[in-house]
Amino acid sequence: MGSNNSDRFETTGEYVASEELMNAVNIAIALQKPLLIKGEPGTGKTMLAQAVAASPGKKLIIWNIKSTTQAQDGLYVYDTVQRLYDSQFGESGVDDIAHYIKLGKLGEAFSSEEQVVLLIDEIDKADLEFPNDLLWELDQMEFYIHETRETVKAKQRPIVIITSNAEKELPDAFLRRCIFHYIEFPEPELMKEIVKSHFDSLEDKLLEEAMRTFYEIRSLRDIRKKPSTSELIDWINALMIGGIPVEEIYKKLPFVGVVLKKDEDLETLKNARKY
Amino acid sequence: MFIEFFYALRAGGLDVSQTEWLTLMEALDKGLCGASLTQFYYVSRMILVKSETEYDKFDRVFAAFFKNVSEDREQVSARIMKWLEQKTDCRVPTAEELEQLDQNLSQLKKEDSRQQTNDQISRMFEAKKKEQQTRHDGGNQWIGTGGTSPYGHSGKAPGGIRVGGRTGLMSAFAVISQERYRDFRLDKPLNYRQFQVAFRRLRQYSARLDVPKSELDVDKTVDETCNQGGYLSIEYRKPRKNTVKLLLLFDSGGTMIPFSTLCSNLFEAVDKANHFKDVKTYYFHNCIYSKLYKNPECENGDWVDTEWVFRNLDRDYRVIIVGDAQMAAEELLSPTGNYRGPNDGLSGYEWLTRFTKKYRRIVWLNPRKHEYAKGMDWMEAEVRIADLIPMYKLSVDGLNEAIKCLTRDQAPRKD
Repeated sequence: MGSNNSDRFETTGEYVASEELMNAVNIAIALQKPLLIKGEPGTGKTMLAQAVAASPGKKLIIWNIKSTTQAQDGLYVYDTVQRLYDSQFGESGVDDIAHYIKLGKLGEAFSSEEQVVLLIDEIDKADLEFPNDLLWELDQMEFYIHETRETVKAKQRPIVIITSNAEKELPDAFLRRCIFHYIEFPEPELMKEIVKSHFDSLEDKLLEEAMRTFYEIRSLRDIRKKPSTSELIDWINALMIGGIPVEEIYKKLPFVGVVLKKDEDLETLKNARKY
Repeated sequence: MFIEFFYALRAGGLDVSQTEWLTLMEALDKGLCGASLTQFYYVSRMILVKSETEYDKFDRVFAAFFKNVSEDREQVSARIMKWLEQKTDCRVPTAEELEQLDQNLSQLKKEDSRQQTNDQISRMFEAKKKEQQTRHDGGNQWIGTGGTSPYGHSGKAPGGIRVGGRTGLMSAFAVISQERYRDFRLDKPLNYRQFQVAFRRLRQYSARLDVPKSELDVDKTVDETCNQGGYLSIEYRKPRKNTVKLLLLFDSGGTMIPFSTLCSNLFEAVDKANHFKDVKTYYFHNCIYSKLYKNPECENGDWVDTEWVFRNLDRDYRVIIVGDAQMAAEELLSPTGNYRGPNDGLSGYEWLTRFTKKYRRIVWLNPRKHEYAKGMDWMEAEVRIADLIPMYKLSVDGLNEAIKCLTRDQAPRKD
């Protein structure tokens, strides 16, 4: 398909991606568009970027978004305090503003000599307008530093992966520029592979029983917080360490607190088991 | 060449923009779709559709546009299913096989329409089922695992018929016919999280309003001070606080019982959303009269006067009324229509009118809003109320519309 096969992303040892997802990653790379990943918590959105970076061996730059993050933070920060400090003590270089421009994560990704993978994690955490503020930068892969009148332009277009938990709607203009992929909760078959990739040795019988119980819990209608992959892995870990006999897993639900974190959910499970 | 598909998608209610369409064209130019309809399905979906809530819509349009879902897919004999149950690893195809694959692909390309191809595949599939006697992996003709035959699973032939197993890429039609994304559709009723997301939109930062700059802006102060070589320069900014105040009114009449989970979800979402300046909740039975109850049980005496609410909650409150508007016409229109308590001289309709006069931003959320209520006699109450207060269905779409209506800036009424 593509001319440069070395850039293609494939499932690695630790990260098991569905074929659909790998496809999406490769299309996004080929079209040079940001890839927007949405999905339930715990479906491995963040891990995807690590896997993409690891697969062709690229550097990964992570920009964690918080509710207070501004678009400017990702570009550059002008450290005025340091400049004042230096000027009071007569340090050299005070005249040179460029000395006090600190690049943010996006700036770092642009100025890298080699192609990097840039992960903008949980973009929906930030203010509603945040994605709009980055439109130009992500489209053109460049930005302008007013203080020094310089333009930072990407030497190698980074592979941009953006994750969202759908806490806020993202603006249309932003969405139009992205390739979108929704990670579904893995089917049992894929889930088996994912779990196995996390354990060196795992009894098939234990896995089977734990998965049966896990998917039954997920299928209960009134569960508020559905357990995710990471909870299943923690639970299996607990079961192994606790040395629980396989027969007891489904019936007695040992350590079920690892899977369900809310009191109401535990109650729901209890009630469902009564019948 | 696919431009009809673009218009079909738009007609199907998908807001596909020109930019996205051009991106898809670019993808086609770069050969990213190969010659496979399945790959085209995935590529076009990831470029054109930006929310899982619209996957279902997309699937429908796609299926209708490239319509030839093979109905016989399920009728595979048990024997063939058994052969397929054992999974084989996809091995790397040899040069010969690749050549064969290329030939197959060009053959498929030559076909004028997909209809023909699929019919052909279906026909041949039937024939193969009868002929095939042994398990078969790889190869390019028989039903089996791997290989380039259009029958069986893990194969590489485009748009073929999948029989059991897990393919690398599911055939487009197989995906569509599963209707996996139906649950995400927007016209479905809401869960708790969706409520929360919707209510997050209901905010108005006073920074956008005309208020004095009263909050110390530390960052700017530091910047400015440093810029002036250490000479202190204090900067202020407008405080950023949500100024939205909310008045929630729930119908807890008998006809609302089926929706109690929905209502409690809504209540909880509002309750947990700590970004509102103030939230007041009251209950009513079927329609609003001179008293509002403090509890959903609506017991006599456990109430406040509606007048008191008018006096104490100013006009900046946004009002959300949740109810099914199911009531007899006289309950709404007669000044003695309240069969559970006092009317105080006004009919329910007049009480509601007073609400609309006092509060500029008011919506009614109806869990069973009827599309065609007009012209049905027994729906008179609903029609009359919907004329008075903007009424939305209590679904994802409806709630979003309602929130939009509540946030819309309206010129303050002069009275």
